[in-house]
Amino acid sequence: MKCYAGIDAGSTYIKVAVINDSTLMGYKIAPTGIDCRKKSREMFDELLSDLSLSPSDIIAITSTGYGRRLIDISNETVSEIMAHAIGAIWTAPEGSKIRTIIDIGGQDSKVIVIDEKWETKNFIMNDKCAAGTGRFIEVLSRVLEVNVEQIGPFSLQAKTPCQINSTCAVFAESEVISLLARGKDRKDIIAGIHRSLAKRISGMARKASFEPDLLLTGGVALNPGLVAAFEDELMMDIYVARKPQLNGAIGAAIIAGNLRGKS
Amino acid sequence: MMLAELDNNSNLPAGIYYFINIMRDAFVKNQVRRYRQLQGRDNRKIIGTYCITVPEELIYAAGAIPVRLCGGSYEASCIGDELVPRDTCPVVKASVGFTSLNPISLYQMCDAVIVSTTCDAKRKLGEELSNYTEVWMLEVPHIKDTDGSRRQWIQQLYTLKKNIEKLTGRKFIGRRIRRKALEDSIGIINRARYQARRLYEIRKSPAPVILGREAMLAINAYSYDIAFEWTRAMSELNDELEALYHKGQFVCSEYTPRILIAGSPMIFPNWKIPSLIEEMGAVIVTDETCMGNRYLYDPIGTTEKSVKDMMVGIAARYLMPCVCPSFTPNEDRLYRLLQMAEEFNIDGIIYHVLKGCVVYDFELIRVEKIMKEKNIPVLRIETDYNPEDIEQLRTRIEAFIEIINSKKRKMKEA
Ligand code: SF4
Ligand code: SF4
Repeated sequence: MKCYAGIDAGSTYIKVAVINDSTLMGYKIAPTGIDCRKKSREMFDELLSDLSLSPSDIIAITSTGYGRRLIDISNETVSEIMAHAIGAIWTAPEGSKIRTIIDIGGQDSKVIVIDEKWETKNFIMNDKCAAGTGRFIEVLSRVLEVNVEQIGPFSLQAKTPCQINSTCAVFAESEVISLLARGKDRKDIIAGIHRSLAKRISGMARKASFEPDLLLTGGVALNPGLVAAFEDELMMDIYVARKPQLNGAIGAAIIAGNLRGKS
Repeated sequence: MMLAELDNNSNLPAGIYYFINIMRDAFVKNQVRRYRQLQGRDNRKIIGTYCITVPEELIYAAGAIPVRLCGGSYEASCIGDELVPRDTCPVVKASVGFTSLNPISLYQMCDAVIVSTTCDAKRKLGEELSNYTEVWMLEVPHIKDTDGSRRQWIQQLYTLKKNIEKLTGRKFIGRRIRRKALEDSIGIINRARYQARRLYEIRKSPAPVILGREAMLAINAYSYDIAFEWTRAMSELNDELEALYHKGQFVCSEYTPRILIAGSPMIFPNWKIPSLIEEMGAVIVTDETCMGNRYLYDPIGTTEKSVKDMMVGIAARYLMPCVCPSFTPNEDRLYRLLQMAEEFNIDGIIYHVLKGCVVYDFELIRVEKIMKEKNIPVLRIETDYNPEDIEQLRTRIEAFIEIINSKKRKMKEA
């Protein structure tokens, strides 16, 4: 069997995906830890044994993400921008015509505008602080003592979302603390946090002249509160990638197999 | 860091080592001996300069040595951070840092420094530096195209000439800069510019014979060298590069994406952007910065050889062709960029914005607009001297190069 692997070594999580010509055969997601080279190798080996594959079944491996150049088992590296653009070929929901991908990562967010051939036309990345990234939500949910998984459903119950003005995680934290002190409902605060993030990234999307349809990727795309905030902000429907966390790894695997044409 | 990396590359043209050594003397070894030598027995004065609007001809003509002090060091910018407003650009932070603490002796050796009133940051820089050293302000007009500003500019140069004469005066025959001396110094620097232009000419070749990060370093070294010695070394490097070209020894293929760097100055040792671009598989074939092409391109033209005529020639050269964004309007810069994009057969522009550098960021909007018409992609990179964002920059630059590559692939298929 012809199989290909993609490794997305992100700042917080490593994602490994193995595909064959037409399907995602298996994947693994684990925190990056301190040794990204060793960790990705372990995950790769485990995944192969889970799938009862031998290393020789894997024809090529491509890596992407911040740690991409540290990964010694891969044959080539690609930027996250390209990996995400290509990943959308497989992860976009049926019937959508994706032209823009918003990926919210642990340390940065990207807006990628593609053409009908899935080639990148334009992209924007946020500046080097936590504003507009997954870390922003993570930090604030800790202050609110809410589990990251709960945070989405929780915010959907908000009645009057609070306004969070700071985009800087550190300043937003003190804003949230003072909102709590004023007795605001946590649900409303969380909804406010989602709005603030959606606003910031939507601004980036406008700057990149985004086009519909729009696909949301990255772990936070699983958060329905954030998706709703994006839909409000951009006033349009947003598609959520199937396996949004794996979008980059799948993209890298497609590139490894040179399977772009066959979707 | 950068110098060690360069040394490890065994494919460097032999001629480049001269320039690497200049940088090493100045920044690593902190070699003052070199400058002591330059000063010679008659203890020639050293005059520091900021910006490219200071006519070095006047300094040479008075028997003094100019050193361009605009700083590119991260360590120095951290020192400066404490002394100037937070949003000041790192060039000015580093310049203040170098002057206040003197981590390298070059700054201490200057008998006076000339600061131009170009952008806002440079304008205030002079006041800060005057706490540590003798500062002469040089008032550069911001609108070139009026009689008033031209008159004012010439007057400024005469004042500068007087200041220089006063500083160096007694040691030389007579106090004044003489006709012959001025003519000679114009010649010396025109020859330096000629060699710099030759280097850029060579870099137009379809497959490059030198990487941009090395060519830029060689040009940047001019700041810390004496003009005629630099010219000799540059002419040898050029001869060598031409020979390489004829032998077909290229540093990369003719399909390598060709990048033009524009924007805020890239000043050694802050070499992170040039290094990243070429590490990620593109080649910098030219630049439009005040540490490169704009610094050493246009020669001075004079017809008669009277002091007055030469002063007018100098004034014209430092004002009219200069497309520093501190001038307004600055349409000329757009023409120059378009022209360069064509002559150097550019695939993309990386537009460098130093944090706090408003003038260059302002002009980006126009640059993006005209390049869109020409279908040349522009990537804006905002950064400072801090190495912390290297990985993020790498992703952006790599993705930009991927876009160019896929565009080139499509064009080849079509
Ligand atoms: S661009 Fe102009 S103002 Fe800025 S550093 Fe260069 S010469 Fe000075
Ligand atoms: S032009 Fe920009 S980089 Fe140069 S001194 Fe002014 S603000 Fe700094």
